[in-house]
Amino acid sequence: MDSTYAKRTVGRILAMAGKEVLHIRRDVRTLYLALAMPVLLLVLFGFGISFDVDHLDLAVVDQDRTALSRELVRQVTASEEFVLAWEGTSPEEAIRELRRGHAVAVMVLPHGFSEDVARGAGQVQLLMDGADGNTATQALAKAQALVDVAGRRFAGATLPAPPLEVRVRTLFNPNGRSALFLVPGLAAYLLAIVAVLITALTVAREWERGSMEQLFATPVGRLEIVVGKLLPYLGIGLLQVLLVLTVGAWLFDVPVRGSLVALGLGALLFLVGMLGQGLLISVITRNQVVATQVATMSSMLPSMLLSGFIFPIENLPPPLRVISLLIPARHFVTTLRGVLLRGNGLDVLWPQLVALTLFAALMLTLATRRFQRRLD
Amino acid sequence: MSPAIEVEHLTRRFGAFTAVNDVSFSVGAGEIFGYLGANGAGKSTTIRMLCGLLKPTGGHARVAGHDVGHEPERVKERIGYMSQRFSLYLDLTVRANLEFFAAAYGAHGRELERRIGEMLERMQLTPVQDEVTGSLPGGMQQRVALASAVLHRPRIVFLDEPTAGVDPVQRRSFWALIRELAAGGTTVFVTTHYMDEAEYCARIGIMVDGRLVALDTPEGLKRTHAPGRVLEVRGPNLAPALDALRGEPGVLDVSRFGAGATVRVDPERLSGEALGRWLRARGVDPLELEESAPTLDDVFLALTAGAQRGED
Repeated sequence: MDSTYAKRTVGRILAMAGKEVLHIRRDVRTLYLALAMPVLLLVLFGFGISFDVDHLDLAVVDQDRTALSRELVRQVTASEEFVLAWEGTSPEEAIRELRRGHAVAVMVLPHGFSEDVARGAGQVQLLMDGADGNTATQALAKAQALVDVAGRRFAGATLPAPPLEVRVRTLFNPNGRSALFLVPGLAAYLLAIVAVLITALTVAREWERGSMEQLFATPVGRLEIVVGKLLPYLGIGLLQVLLVLTVGAWLFDVPVRGSLVALGLGALLFLVGMLGQGLLISVITRNQVVATQVATMSSMLPSMLLSGFIFPIENLPPPLRVISLLIPARHFVTTLRGVLLRGNGLDVLWPQLVALTLFAALMLTLATRRFQRRLD
Repeated sequence: MSPAIEVEHLTRRFGAFTAVNDVSFSVGAGEIFGYLGANGAGKSTTIRMLCGLLKPTGGHARVAGHDVGHEPERVKERIGYMSQRFSLYLDLTVRANLEFFAAAYGAHGRELERRIGEMLERMQLTPVQDEVTGSLPGGMQQRVALASAVLHRPRIVFLDEPTAGVDPVQRRSFWALIRELAAGGTTVFVTTHYMDEAEYCARIGIMVDGRLVALDTPEGLKRTHAPGRVLEVRGPNLAPALDALRGEPGVLDVSRFGAGATVRVDPERLSGEALGRWLRARGVDPLELEESAPTLDDVFLALTAGAQRGED
């Protein structure tokens, strides 16, 4: 009795899934949407968004005009970070360049610079455009570091080393490349949108066409409808994950350093949660247009703003930080960054996986329960 | 043998609105049972309750031996249901639709193939089996929908306005299929608002505003609710005369439609010629005066008199 029951259930689920595959094959646009869009967006975003600051325009006011001052200017502008955009002797003119936006920083080497350096009291003045705070901070740090290095070289071995020194070494993403940081966030963001959107659309379509009523009149149970309908999209979703990671590795050298099991499990749980969310939306709205809007808003905004994809979780105000715990994309982004960049495994990432499991279970329970109610 | 469908005091309320109000009837095995009513009279609500899609708020119904309120899943396995809009997957082929519904009802493997082949043959759909369902004409789509509803050989099949929007020729061939089903022992419960179709039914129930107001064979209904003969009158300036006609001896019912009217008379007391004379005496020269036997239309008009008169 039990085994025939199970066999029937599996048969009905497979019937649903098979039918859904036929729909997907009929409407290739769904497949394009699902597979091409994430890759396209990944490439656009990956190349387009960069938080790296380099090739900054520097205006130089060299009032000293000695070999030493010229050497410092050469050293600072020889780096990738700064480009010599203007050179003169009047600080006022240099500031005008700053105001016009022709330069983001001004370096002033005052009269008597080389003598001061010889006495061990050389001074360099840096004027920053603070209108773009992020750029100013980064430019300031870089300029300081460059001048620091140059200064030490001028002093030669004559000066004793400072008694205390901080040496910073960035692990996991030593060059501070944005792509490494962005790709995991982007992958979560894109998967969230596509998964929620596609499910919301396909289930809402059954309501709209009236075929849901026909389904309800058959012995196919609600849970069987849900599982059968989601299976093919789960397959597509996992394919997306592979695709996005491959493109990430190929174009942006995103490594995979950690546990593949944790990665696969995280992706699976995240997708089930997203599909469940899409299902819940379509069960409530029963309308393709409304479902599309709700699905886009409810998946896009939180997974962009509250996942750590663009804005670090630590920078969020405390109430939002608490809310972000409810956003599956946050946990998936953490999982992805952990596995890809930090080389983490299940031992570190299990809290994220538990959170993803809870979300998926909640969505599926709510959706199936809403579904249980008969037509009215 | 127990009846295929047994309904006792079945009631369904939506908030303050009572869609189906204390309805009782039973349908025998192999019978074609017609369910008639205007839109919103409660036909679809009744069907949905009988198919286990909607829980009754009062009374109960047994379909194929199972209570629809308590064992809807048992009921679903034993019935076929063709909903008002044929809810096929229009983007899939005819065969894919049938395969899906056959599998949904638990058929698989060789048995599934055999039944589908048989059904395609019977519904004359074999040549179009690989066509996309949405590209077929309405009459054919309707046969596909019927095929997917009876593929699993249910004992009872519910058809909710199966012929809505289909041309008369297709409707007739569809009814031939329905009668064939019933001849094979399947109970058919069908709603319609085409009165000519209702004549094919063994018995008819008529719903008005959620109530079952009449239930009988077509002949019985006509005898009880539309006795006498029907005279169809057409002509100019009928209206004032028709108002005066009501209440004349021998006149049973007057219903107006467009430029004409049907007047049901007791042939013992008023003949066609007499009515013509009566009209001419009031300055109306009828262009046409035709006598016929009452139809279910007349029954329906008599039963839905008042608010609904003249609507159809």
